Amino acid sequence: MALLQTNNVVKRFGGLIAVNKMTFSVDAGKIVSIIGPNGAGKTTFFNTLTGIYTPEEGQIQFKDHSLIGLRPDQVAATGIARTFQNIRLFGSMTVLENILVGMHIQLKQNAVDTIFRSKKFHEEEKDAEQRAKELMAFVGLKNVGNELARNLPYGGQRRIEIARALAATPTLLLLDEPTAGMNPNESEDAIKLFRRIRDEKGITILMIEHDMRVVMGISEHISVMDYGEKIAEGSPAEIRSNQRVIEAYLGRGAAVAHEQKA
Amino acid sequence: MKQIAANPVYKFFLFPIGQILLFALGASVVLSLATVLLAYLFKFNVTDFDLVERTMLLLPQVIINGLTIGFVYSTIALGYTMVYGVLEFINFSHSEIFMVGGIVGIQLMAYFEHIGVLATMNEYLVITLAILLALVVSGALAVTVERVAYKPLRGAPKLVPLISAIGMSFFLQDIVRLILSLTTGEFNVILPKFGTFDEFWKIAIPGMEEPLRIQTKSVLIVGVAMLMLVILNFLVNGTKVGKAIRAVAQDRPSASLMGINVNQIISITFLIGGALGGAAGVLFALKATKLDPFSGFFPGLKAFTSAVLGGIGNLTGALLGGLVLGLLESFSASYLGIFTNGAFGAEYKDIFAFAVLIIVLIFRPSGLLGQTVGQKV
Amino acid sequence: MKTLFSDLYKKANTGFWPIVIAFVFMIVGTVTLFQNPRSLGSFLVLMTTPVILYFMKMPMKIKVFIGLLIVVIILPVIGIKNIFILEVIFQMAVFAALALGLNIVIGMAGLLDLGYVAFYAVGAYAWAIFGSKQMSLLYSIPGAAPANAEFFLDARWFWLFLFLGIGLAALTGILLGLPVLRVKGDYLAIVTLGFGEVIRVLALNLDKPINLTNGPQGITPIQRPPLPPEGVLMFFRSFLEPLVGHEVSDAEFYNVMFYFLALIIIAIVIVVATRLEDSRIGRAWTAIREDETAAIAMGIPLVKMKLAAFAAGASFAGAMGALYAANRTFVSPETFSFQVSIGVLTMVILGGLGSIPGVIFGASAVTLLNIQILQNLSLYLSDLRQSDAVIPIINFAWKDLSNQLDPAKYQKLVFGIILILMMIFRPSGLIPAERRQRELGEEKE
Repeated sequence: MALLQTNNVVKRFGGLIAVNKMTFSVDAGKIVSIIGPNGAGKTTFFNTLTGIYTPEEGQIQFKDHSLIGLRPDQVAATGIARTFQNIRLFGSMTVLENILVGMHIQLKQNAVDTIFRSKKFHEEEKDAEQRAKELMAFVGLKNVGNELARNLPYGGQRRIEIARALAATPTLLLLDEPTAGMNPNESEDAIKLFRRIRDEKGITILMIEHDMRVVMGISEHISVMDYGEKIAEGSPAEIRSNQRVIEAYLGRGAAVAHEQKA
Repeated sequence: MKQIAANPVYKFFLFPIGQILLFALGASVVLSLATVLLAYLFKFNVTDFDLVERTMLLLPQVIINGLTIGFVYSTIALGYTMVYGVLEFINFSHSEIFMVGGIVGIQLMAYFEHIGVLATMNEYLVITLAILLALVVSGALAVTVERVAYKPLRGAPKLVPLISAIGMSFFLQDIVRLILSLTTGEFNVILPKFGTFDEFWKIAIPGMEEPLRIQTKSVLIVGVAMLMLVILNFLVNGTKVGKAIRAVAQDRPSASLMGINVNQIISITFLIGGALGGAAGVLFALKATKLDPFSGFFPGLKAFTSAVLGGIGNLTGALLGGLVLGLLESFSASYLGIFTNGAFGAEYKDIFAFAVLIIVLIFRPSGLLGQTVGQKV
Repeated sequence: MKTLFSDLYKKANTGFWPIVIAFVFMIVGTVTLFQNPRSLGSFLVLMTTPVILYFMKMPMKIKVFIGLLIVVIILPVIGIKNIFILEVIFQMAVFAALALGLNIVIGMAGLLDLGYVAFYAVGAYAWAIFGSKQMSLLYSIPGAAPANAEFFLDARWFWLFLFLGIGLAALTGILLGLPVLRVKGDYLAIVTLGFGEVIRVLALNLDKPINLTNGPQGITPIQRPPLPPEGVLMFFRSFLEPLVGHEVSDAEFYNVMFYFLALIIIAIVIVVATRLEDSRIGRAWTAIREDETAAIAMGIPLVKMKLAAFAAGASFAGAMGALYAANRTFVSPETFSFQVSIGVLTMVILGGLGSIPGVIFGASAVTLLNIQILQNLSLYLSDLRQSDAVIPIINFAWKDLSNQLDPAKYQKLVFGIILILMMIFRPSGLIPAERRQRELGEEKE
């Protein structure tokens, strides 16, 4: 059974139909990509999934919850974590604190524990700190726990954002253009990281990505969006030879990437 | 039809005036109907007299008072809404710009009185001069304030310029008080008596015992405010500068790429908004007859509420919002006491505006005429 | 010049020097204050000692020792000689608590609340109404109180009302927050400002239909909590009186009691604020301040956490409100004007948004400025006016200076200037917030 299943999801802004009848599914344990030209509605679709926008029509089913009408924090509580296209870290908090914020849902300390510093509080904080350290090591960051997040270089910030999302122990991880702005070496590292997230932590990954090397190199299933609609889906090989996809991309730079790969 | 719409006389004169009259009439009618309805509902509460009859009797006077103050609010609200449209920033010190305009206007009249020419001058000339001086002083002050306290903070987090504006508001209140105190020995300024503005026009209404009384200055306030609104409409919609202002409001980076000098346009926006506020200050002074450095605070807040009520960033909305708020205030001041049998009275009219503000922000944050803007992620 | 100073500071901040400096400031301040309890300079010297303790390096034990020495012994003793000193410290503590509460709302959660004074008013009026004769006067006209009116509750109920004040203020915070917190960013400032005014207007006008607040005249007398039993007072007298050289009256004991009460509350407030900041709750607040969209995507319920911030901030103000009402034995609507909200905001901004030590410093500095420095300046100017002194170069006789120029009346001007200058030149405050550094067992390169 699919982990995430959407049915005819429609999101409009006034007269503009940003997402049109998206029927789409993600199987558990897979790495799935959504690609498409700029303005195709990919990020809007992500925002609809995570509760930032409420779709006008359609259903979204995650595990056995319907996500329609849930607020973003409620969606997060069902086990979906995400990163953002333009990194959104809490800049004036330390790296460690950023990751601890990611654990908000799991931590159980309440105001009384906090004010009286109960045993529960100390144990939980110690445990959380330990997990945060492990996560930093997992994404390959060293000696940065006490740095302010905004002081880290770009690549480091991308990694913290992923570590922060992982801190929520999600079932499904949504990555919005996770390798944007990276050079080929960094992208290569990122691909390895995504594989490890799936293989070692068993987290399903759904990502929006423009870099065809990344998409083709890692995805097990690809959906293509254009003008808010899904125009194709299939394995990387199928997508590569799909006529509609090539048309959608033609003359838009990405076609070059396509040819290079082919 | 198209030809008529493109005709400048229609576009910049007839249409805006028609719109203003329509808003004034519409808001008055809607509120009157609602009040009469309430009067029927509260009838049981009042035994001494017939509540409905009393309500009807007061109605014309209440509407006139409401419209008078409403036009003042509209004129101030335009300053808030223009600046918000361009900078997305609540110019907290606008209420003090308004207050300075009023005080400068009164001081000019007091000066005329002092040198003994006030009684012999044409009263309308006096008002015109006072308004012109207030336009210049308030406009210049608004531009200066922007340069000193807001411009260095452009691009900072939103709270930073807002806090600076709050500081500027306090600073201006006390600096005006200091200047007045040092020069005149006290900080209350009182409108000198001159001309015929306090007289009433009496209009007999068939079927009513008492004639309707309209004070000359109410007519003057409404007239001048309408004139200002028409001029502003022309400035914003009919000139190149206005086009540039609208462009900057819509998309600052693009406007800048198109060769518009954004800093200059922002200054001009403050100039226009400040000047309008100054003129409104003189109109308010005519009605209030007494001002002090803290007089700007409440009208300013209410004008801001008007701007939000109409849909902030929207000029037409500010006009409508001001009229509605002025009327609401006048209605609540007159009827609250009567309807509740004296338990609550006109003293609650100031907080009535906030109740309106909160209700609008909760149920229609974009205001009566505003559009919802999607959040960008 | 600047490097000379910082070199000097570095040298002074090593070894035993900090302890020596702290002791010198403490002793000089204390001795001169003993000789002249009204000296502002000596008071400032003494009050610099805590700042030195905070900034300079010395063992924690010594810091605590000097701090306690000043707070528990020196200040109360000098305070009995000059009651005004205890009054200043009392006000500092009240405003520091208010500022710490507002700091949670603005500094941590990033919500600009301009009506903060309302919560202070709720706490104050709660005790004012029940701790005075007001409950017996509900149906009488303001000013025409019947002579036989009695206190409604015994003075000892104050202790309960200290907690009720907290609860009521927190509840008010939640009730205000529920509708208002959906409003975004800068609108919130205006809406809360309006709410502050609503509370003030209610206090002003709720003398009818029933006389709950006694209108603009305010409520008085309000009872003070009872002094400790006579035996305890005797004990204190036995060693206080030789030190101050005269008999200690009940009025003076009341001042000392309120001083310690304020200190105890401020100590609790500091502990609570610090602990909240460094916890799941505080991190959620900061996350909301930094980026609401990212925060909610991490599963932080925005409205609930903002309400919590409002309630926590309000509760500090509620407690101090009740204490203030009892201390003054009088409340009136004018005590709770918009100016107070902005005053507290100025303290937070001056010290540093989100910085607990900064906010305490800001509150102390602004309070001192308000009730001591500006006052003294006013007195000084009026002295000059009566003298024959002339400003040299411009040849201006002080006599001719308008007596309208009274610095003590220009608090708004001072607040305004502080706010503008801080925003332009140092938006993070004089003592900016620092994130807690943890022992992570990481190697530093």
